[in-house]
Amino acid sequence: MPKIFYTQPDGRQTALEATAGDSVMQTAVRNGVSGIVGQCGGSLSCATCHVFLAEENTDDFPPVGDDEDEMLDCAATERQDNSRLSCQLILREGQEVHVTIPEAQL
Amino acid sequence: MTTHHDAGTEFPFAARPAAEAVQHLRRLMADRPMTKVTMPHGGDVWIVHRNQAARQMLSDQRFVREPFRTGEREVPFFVPFPDFLRTTLQFEDPPQHTKLRKLVQKAISPRRVRDMRDSAAAFANQLIDTMITRGGVRNLVAEYAVPLPIEMLSSLLGVPSADREKFERWSSSTLSVAGRTEQEITADMGELAAYMTDLIAKRRAEPHDDLLSSLAHAHERDETLTDAEILPIAFLLIVGGFDNTANFLTTGVLSLLRSDEQRALFMTDPDALAPTAAEEILRHGAFMMGQPVGGGGGLVPFVATQDVIIDGQLITAGEAVSIDPTAANHDPDAVTDPGRFDITRTDNPHLMLSYGLHHCLGAPLARMELQVGMAEIFKRLPNLRLAGEPVVRYDVLTQPMTDLPVTW
Repeated sequence: MPKIFYTQPDGRQTALEATAGDSVMQTAVRNGVSGIVGQCGGSLSCATCHVFLAEENTDDFPPVGDDEDEMLDCAATERQDNSRLSCQLILREGQEVHVTIPEAQL
Repeated sequence: MTTHHDAGTEFPFAARPAAEAVQHLRRLMADRPMTKVTMPHGGDVWIVHRNQAARQMLSDQRFVREPFRTGEREVPFFVPFPDFLRTTLQFEDPPQHTKLRKLVQKAISPRRVRDMRDSAAAFANQLIDTMITRGGVRNLVAEYAVPLPIEMLSSLLGVPSADREKFERWSSSTLSVAGRTEQEITADMGELAAYMTDLIAKRRAEPHDDLLSSLAHAHERDETLTDAEILPIAFLLIVGGFDNTANFLTTGVLSLLRSDEQRALFMTDPDALAPTAAEEILRHGAFMMGQPVGGGGGLVPFVATQDVIIDGQLITAGEAVSIDPTAANHDPDAVTDPGRFDITRTDNPHLMLSYGLHHCLGAPLARMELQVGMAEIFKRLPNLRLAGEPVVRYDVLTQPMTDLPVTW
C-alpha cells in the first residue's frame, strides 16, 4: 500500500495510506487534506493541486509532461524546480511519497 | 417540476427559513444520493445532492454534453435553455473542449489573476471614492458590485474603456431571460456579437496584451481559432464573469451585514480573512441573506453515454444528470456543521463553482474579485450598514439582487 506524507506550509504533517493507481491529488481531496484543491478533477486545467515533491521521490514518477509544464506556469505560488501537479503523480504499490503544499493554490 | 418522496425529504422543496432548509437538506441526503426530477423544460434529470457523489459524476467522462450541443436533445432546465449558450465551451466535450479551454485557461490562470489583483483593488477604491463623494444612501449593486467585475472582465478581454458602458448594457441583456422582450434581447445580442467580431478583427490585425488578442493569435498544432470559435468563448466569459461575480459580491457584503459576529471577526483583518471568507460566502452566503431558502437548483446537466452507478444509484445510458450545489455545499459528510457561517473555515469543499472538466472557467478571477471587493469595502467603510431592504429580481434566471441600499 502506497503511503503519502503531506507537509503544510506551517510544517504540520498528515500521513495517509493510499491506493495504487490513485493520484496524490485524489488521495488528498478524498481525505480532506487542506491546501490541495484539485478543482478540475485531474484534467490539467486548473493548477490548484500544485505541490513540491521531495528530492528523494524525483525519479519515482514520470517527468513533467508538456501540458503539466504549461499549467505549472499558471500556478498561484511561484513554481520551483521540484514543482509538480499532484494529479499527475500516480501511485504505485509500496511507494512512500513526501510532498510539501505551497502557500496558495487560488 | 415534479417528484415523489415522503414529507421531510422531498425535492424540490419550497422556500423556508435558512436553518430549516439546512435540516431538510440533511434529511434528503441521508435518504438518497440523488432525485429524479421532471424539469419545466426538457424532461427528466437526475439531480445529485451528495457532495462526494457529485464530484464522482463530474469527474467521470462517461457523462457528456454532446446531445445538447447538437440539438438531439433538449436541455432539462428551469427555462428554455438559451441557444447562444449551447454553442459555448460549456457544451463541448474533449478533444475540442480541451483545446479551447487550455487556450483560455492560461489567460485566467491563478498566476495571471494574481497580477491583476492590484488593479482590481485600485478600481474598487475608485468606486468607493465616488460613493463617498455622493454620500447618503447608495445602491451597492449598481455602484460597486456590478462595475468591478465589468471593469476586470473588459480589461481582460481588451474592451476599450470608452466602450464599457454599451458593453455593460449588452452583457446584462444576455441574462435577462424575463424582464426584457425577446426582440430587445435579440437586438442587444446582435449588437454585442457585431461589436465583439469587429474587436476580434482589430486584434487579429494589431494584437494588444489581452485575451482576445491571444485567442486571435493562438496556434494549436498549426490550427488557429476561427471567429466562430472565439466569439462563444467571449460570450461565455461575459455571461459568467459579469453577473455571477456581481451576485457573489453583493451576497458577500449582505451576509456579513446580517452577521454582527462574523463581520466583527472579518474586520480584525480583512485582507488575511478574505480568502476563507470568500469560499464560505460561495458555500453558504445565500443562506445568510435573511431570506427563506428553497431547494430545486441544478447546474447545467450532462447525458450518460452508458449505464453508470453512482453512490449505489443506476443512471441509465441516455439519462440526463446534474448536480445540486445547494445540497452538496451542506452535506454533513463533507462539511463540518454545514449550517454554521464561519469565515475562517479552511476545509471548504463547496461546489458553487462546480468541479471537473467543466468547473468554472473564470474561477480564479471570480475568487480574486470577491476577495478584493469584500476586503476593500469593509476597510474603507468600517461602519457600512443596511439602509433598507435588498431588492431581488425573481423573474431573472440567476435571481440577482438589483438594489442593496447602504450607508456608513
